[in-house]
Amino acid sequence: MSERQLIPSALAGSPLTGGEQVAYEGVAMMPSVKVIKIGGQSVMDRGRAALFPLLEEIGRIKDQHRLLLTTGGGTRARHVYSVASDLELPTGLLAALGGYVPRQNARMLQMLLAEQGGIFMMTDDFEKLPLYFRLGCIPIMTGMPPFGYWEKPSEEGRIPANRTDAGTFLTAEALGAKRVWFAKDEEGLFDDDPKKNAAAKQLPRIGAKELLSRGLKDLIIERSVLEYLTRARYVREIQVFNALVPGNLTRALAGEDIGTIIYRD
Amino acid sequence: MNKLLTGDGRTHIESSLMRESLQDRDVIKRTHSANEYEILPDCVLVGVGGHSIFDRGRSALLPLVEELAKARAAKHKMVLGVGGGTRVRHTLAIALDLGLPTGGIAQLVGAMEECNAVFLNALLAKHGSIVMQREHFWELPLYLNSGMLPIVISIPPYHFWEPPPEDGPLPAHGSDFGLFIHAEVLGMKRVIFVKDEDGLYDRDPKKHADAKLIERTTLGALLADMPRELILDRQLFDCWRTARHVKEVQIVNGCKPGMLLAALEGEPVGTVITKEAADV
Repeated sequence: MSERQLIPSALAGSPLTGGEQVAYEGVAMMPSVKVIKIGGQSVMDRGRAALFPLLEEIGRIKDQHRLLLTTGGGTRARHVYSVASDLELPTGLLAALGGYVPRQNARMLQMLLAEQGGIFMMTDDFEKLPLYFRLGCIPIMTGMPPFGYWEKPSEEGRIPANRTDAGTFLTAEALGAKRVWFAKDEEGLFDDDPKKNAAAKQLPRIGAKELLSRGLKDLIIERSVLEYLTRARYVREIQVFNALVPGNLTRALAGEDIGTIIYRD
Repeated sequence: MNKLLTGDGRTHIESSLMRESLQDRDVIKRTHSANEYEILPDCVLVGVGGHSIFDRGRSALLPLVEELAKARAAKHKMVLGVGGGTRVRHTLAIALDLGLPTGGIAQLVGAMEECNAVFLNALLAKHGSIVMQREHFWELPLYLNSGMLPIVISIPPYHFWEPPPEDGPLPAHGSDFGLFIHAEVLGMKRVIFVKDEDGLYDRDPKKHADAKLIERTTLGALLADMPRELILDRQLFDCWRTARHVKEVQIVNGCKPGMLLAALEGEPVGTVITKEAADV
């Protein structure tokens, strides 16, 4: 048997199964990009009444920022997950199926923002972002990460752990951005579901670890995002705000701490 | 017939998850059931090591190709995958030196695995192999039903969206994990990894002459006492905990003729790791 033909390098011969000690000084790719997720159930499913004022606001501020919009799924994604769970299909299949709806929503946003430079992109077009920004475009893509059939089985149930919140967060992390924005229909995070409990209290600022340790039954953001935030290299905070209130997007992007800030603690 | 419901400013489609928060633990529980549909249950996934087999060139590869051809002639339904080997390590070393982000590194490494998939396909094409791209996922039944040997992508397509690793900047989801999850989502029961060691050892046998071979173990036992130096991705074992289908992972020595065939025939050669009911 021949010996292995190895290329000499700092990792030559390493089994790469974890625990490698390597020197590393990270370079942020495009830290100035502001990644904003437009909620599916919370914004898109409200149709014209919610979306048109928000798009108008985006049009007004688009030249002050480099905006990358991502989209959530909403009720059609819930319908897909519900049918797939009834059929007892694996999580990876739900993740692949769950990708179709946010992609539709991204296309809808693109049609409405076309005049303002809205451009639809697939995750495979990620490396074209510098071009889009140089042209003054507003790139719009699904919030769903491209894991699809390769999504891990969930701890419990079948719903994929990485959906459009996680994908949006990971997009910002890949770009090296410090903050990432989630446009929803509530004033951020509450200690209970404000749609079901009128006495629920809003939390203006909370650490990701602290939030996870509270073990809340429900959250406004995917749990995986909180876990990623605790060990992210670049993203330091996420902001969840009510995009149904005119001016909120402008204020949030200007750095005002409206809604809820979840930070790396 | 599904109904559309309005009244709270949103338009909903009636379903068991309508209006629900998908973060709600009770809602998540409702999507759980003991069973899960098996999509392609009667195949075995065979992963061929990059570092361990491919980097040795013809002396290791050509006999293995013959063995795979024999296995196909014996009607074993196999899905193949390959690792990337030393070129992956070189890619990582350069990318780390340049300070590329974790997601950017994850985007790069798959290309080196694909080279090995093309190498294997060139050697196996006359025996019916075909390289399956990510977009052609649903052509797998076509390949299998026509008796072909599909070679699937091994690095999972997490790309720029690779989650922040628990430790250090290196992407945690490598080819062993990618092949495992491929088998799992399709409802396969067995994964066989072909490496250049007789199996899993309590420490790296390339560095320690007294390393002991673990012939049979369970996932639970491994998770409780994980060897520090492993022959497979750590993520594989972590993911296996919540997996529903894969019951057995076997590691065989591909440098010894006959070992892969024996494993395919169900013989407990090399290391056999099983998942028991108590391991969940």
